[in-house]
Amino acid sequence: MALTADAPDDPRLVTNLAGLPLRTPVLTASGTCGYGPEYAGLLDYRRLGGFTTKSVTRQERTGNPPERIVEVRAGLLNAIGLANVGLERFLAEKVPFLRTMPTTVLVNVAGHSTDDYVAVAAALDEHPCVAAIELNVSCPNVADGLMFGTDPVLLRQVVAEVRQALRRARLVVKLSPNVTNIADLARAAIDGGAEVLSLINTYVGLSVDVRTWCPHLGNVTGGLSGPAIKPLALYNVHRVYREVARDARVPIIGMGGIQNTNDAIEFFLAGASAVAVGTALFVDPTLPVKIAAGLAEYVTARGLDNVAALTGQLRTG
Amino acid sequence: MPEVVGTETRCAVDVPVLRCDPICRDHVAIDLAVPGFPASEPGQFVQLRCCESGPTEPIEADWPADGFPSISDRQFASSQPFLRRPFSIADRWQHSDGAAGLRIISRTVGMGTRWLAHLRPTDTVNLTGPLGRGFAIPPPDVPLVLVGGGVGIPPLLYLARRLHEAGRTDVTAIFGAASRDLLPVRLSSEPATDGTARVCVDLPGAARYPAIVTTDDGSAGLPGMVTAALRAWHSRRAGRGAPAMVCACGPQAMLWAVAQQTRQLGLRCQLCIERVMGCGIGTCLSCVVRVRDANQAAGWRWALACTDGPVFSRDELLDDGGKAPA
Repeated sequence: MALTADAPDDPRLVTNLAGLPLRTPVLTASGTCGYGPEYAGLLDYRRLGGFTTKSVTRQERTGNPPERIVEVRAGLLNAIGLANVGLERFLAEKVPFLRTMPTTVLVNVAGHSTDDYVAVAAALDEHPCVAAIELNVSCPNVADGLMFGTDPVLLRQVVAEVRQALRRARLVVKLSPNVTNIADLARAAIDGGAEVLSLINTYVGLSVDVRTWCPHLGNVTGGLSGPAIKPLALYNVHRVYREVARDARVPIIGMGGIQNTNDAIEFFLAGASAVAVGTALFVDPTLPVKIAAGLAEYVTARGLDNVAALTGQLRTG
Repeated sequence: MPEVVGTETRCAVDVPVLRCDPICRDHVAIDLAVPGFPASEPGQFVQLRCCESGPTEPIEADWPADGFPSISDRQFASSQPFLRRPFSIADRWQHSDGAAGLRIISRTVGMGTRWLAHLRPTDTVNLTGPLGRGFAIPPPDVPLVLVGGGVGIPPLLYLARRLHEAGRTDVTAIFGAASRDLLPVRLSSEPATDGTARVCVDLPGAARYPAIVTTDDGSAGLPGMVTAALRAWHSRRAGRGAPAMVCACGPQAMLWAVAQQTRQLGLRCQLCIERVMGCGIGTCLSCVVRVRDANQAAGWRWALACTDGPVFSRDELLDDGGKAPA
């Protein structure tokens, strides 16, 4: 992250996730904010805890045919198809801007083989501006990706191989909710060496056009995000925290339908140490800054020192 | 003073509504005062949030004194539309206190546009813009024909003002709609029924360009489609002057028909397209359209309507089947 002599960090918000420093505990989620230049001027990066790039794959991917999104009640179905410029162009064209960003940068990595994940992660590890790799094993739109994200044995293996290839960057593993028991996957990721867990990714969903009898999406199904999934995301964060992450001391970045400070607080209480805003950026790109300010106020109002005091404080008797 | 977040090229801001009035059946013209609105071009658009601004908290309202709340009350509709909606800039002028005046014209087709149609003066709406790539104005010797269908007409109104301000004289408008009551413009006089262009449409900025009006049902102007009017215009020209530049905006079928026709007639053409959008600023990669690209093995690549467009040159665009409009 490029250092700036601007306003000092708010001690109520400063967060450290297993060695990953965040100015505030509010990040942007992968796939909703491009590679950085797109939101410059709309979102003040100096007041953002962390920026997560769009997924990078080893080879360039053109993505799915239209339509790629459809609005549904309280949310959005997307089937972009991991469209991205590929590793080579990412390094040449996108990294220079990331180097200038005054916030912690996480690069989301997707792939369809262990080799792919390792190759991309290792290449990114060479660039100090990349503070963390976020392993995307949970995109529901790519047939192969689903395999890693739903099989604990395969997940542990790919995480372990990526972890071995990293000498500097932190390893975040992003979990899919399209599984029977997310705690099993969380355990596998931690066993493989994940330092931070982020959850959840989108749920597989369908939307149908009753005029044409066709799906709205070119890919037929897509990933559901937005306010509709918040209760589901909270359940998953709570479960992973209680069953696995708390005792393993692995911090969680919670996400899924966050639109305001209250939503973020819910995720902290459920077990998150940081939160990410994704789909809601399309509605209000300044939300991560507003939410951070709201969290600071809440922390003071509750007589606490830092947001970390909220993590996992859900009272379940 | 509303908080203005942005650079020279884009801003997101809560802006006051100056007017929201019907302009024809199903269409409203909404005028906004936007402080700090950056320089903009015809063909560009804004993204409007079609619900109450401010934190996205649940809406609580008092039970009305006179009975049950109505499902069509704006405050109850506000929790439904999620994504912003994109609208071409239909006009821009200097507002009295130094802010830019902006007009958008919305056709009520769903819950977002229904919310917009209920706006009243002094309400606020959250706006991001200007976004996208606008029309390229050709050199002074090139005649211009502005071809608009229905709710595709608004960006051409802004273009007409800009052309007038630039002193362009050889400009003709061809505006079509299903019927007279669905034309989102004011007629200053009766349009010709034989395809003759005459000054009959109120254009912004006192531009007085001749217009041909077409309606599918013949209720105003020439019965038929805008392509019939374009053919008539071209015949009357009898090859005089440089090949014209057609700037078109409207339904997809109209755009393809105009593209095909301009190719046949040897005219140049720019198309302002419409796509389903998510973020509107080039990050979600949803609003894709195929464009020719000789550098790709397949000869095409995906472009984004929100940043590479919404205006494309006719020869760049391929239809969704990967085939160029014939």
